[in-house]
Amino acid sequence: MKARTVRLWSVVHTWTSLISTVFLLLLCLTGLPLIFHHEIDELLGYAPQPEAHAGAARATTQAVADAALAADPGRVLQYISWDKDEPGIVTAFTNSAVDGLPDNTTVRAFDAVSTKLLGPVGVGPMLIVLKLHTDMFLGQPGKLFLGGMGLLFAVAIVSGVVLYWPFTRRLRFATIRDSTSRRVRWLDWHNLIGVVTVAWALVVGLTGVVNTWAELMLNQWKTTELASMVAPYAGKPPPTHLASLDDVVARVRQTAPGMEVAFIAFPGTPFTSSHHFAAFMRGDTALTARLLKPVLLDGETGEVADSRALPVYLQALLISQPLHFGDYGGMPLKVIWAALDGLTIVVIGSGLYLWLARRRKRAPGRTDAFARRTPVPS
Amino acid sequence: MHGSSDRSRLWIRVFAAPIVLAAATITGLLAALLWGTVGQYVAWVTVGAPVLVVSWVWVRRRTQKIRAF
Repeated sequence: MKARTVRLWSVVHTWTSLISTVFLLLLCLTGLPLIFHHEIDELLGYAPQPEAHAGAARATTQAVADAALAADPGRVLQYISWDKDEPGIVTAFTNSAVDGLPDNTTVRAFDAVSTKLLGPVGVGPMLIVLKLHTDMFLGQPGKLFLGGMGLLFAVAIVSGVVLYWPFTRRLRFATIRDSTSRRVRWLDWHNLIGVVTVAWALVVGLTGVVNTWAELMLNQWKTTELASMVAPYAGKPPPTHLASLDDVVARVRQTAPGMEVAFIAFPGTPFTSSHHFAAFMRGDTALTARLLKPVLLDGETGEVADSRALPVYLQALLISQPLHFGDYGGMPLKVIWAALDGLTIVVIGSGLYLWLARRRKRAPGRTDAFARRTPVPS
Repeated sequence: MHGSSDRSRLWIRVFAAPIVLAAATITGLLAALLWGTVGQYVAWVTVGAPVLVVSWVWVRRRTQKIRAF
């Protein structure tokens, strides 16, 4: 690699890292508690707990919907969802209107058997951490901005791998030089930790970027696939009365045998048309449980209108979510995720330190071995 | 010719371990998603491998320092 090429990659690595440093530190620091948000919510008393009902039959979906509306008078239901890891709980989303602002949504947990209100969901300190992590309280522009920082992070990683060769080719793998300056020691740690975590950092970084595009992808699906699915209903007004949710659930189970309902979107919400219920079905394997299949049903009659697999970009979004959150391999994987997150903080922090140290040493009349560390071209 | 093969050997020496660790990490990330419980065990070992390497280097340095002292 020629000296000029190394310098060019070095400029790319330095500036993509520097521009994104503050935001990456924010993402890593807020991401750390989010890995354990279930456990933290439970510890702080913000996780609703189902009542004990050994072997009792679950309440009907309509009964849960009625309980949700009774708990929030004057508002309307947007979604009802079932978490496969929490079979004793049904979650209901209410808002002032079916297309109300997401920030006005109230999310409550109900007991799956007694329909008793168990408490609010997604509140407490972890909500603040989550908002900081996803959009810094700036909504969609904040999300897209953080997505841009994620892309810079990916470029910084790739340029870092390119620079790994000229900086380490004279050293054995995992060498941390002891006899030299502190800066060289940190350079060795930066190179080692950066290169061993490269695959994880790229996967988590890029899946995070994909997640920031979720609303854009959903809008694309609505204007293309969903629009063609509801085309036969064009011009029909929103339903004056809604079909029974028990009918809706029975019909989607017939339409998608072997699958279970992940959530139902009410007519007029962002996940469906103004005239249809949308039931999103999931499979029972680790992979198919994440790949949802929408079934559209007439809002008034409950009859199945259409059902199609989600397009590739939405499937990619759904698969990218666990790869970003690290919540799909039990507690040991969460601990490993946290350790890798911590190592990434060390890489970012040491990178910043190396840049500052290099600048200091570049001051006129002051040079040392580190300042002249540009590698020998090969 | 001789220089080229030396260079290849050097390239492998520098990148062999990072490539193996990257492949292990990707395998583990997908295993937990595709292979259920068995995949989870695979993921714990392979995704955790980079953490083990860094821990091993850190412990090795600490013990060397203590010995030198």
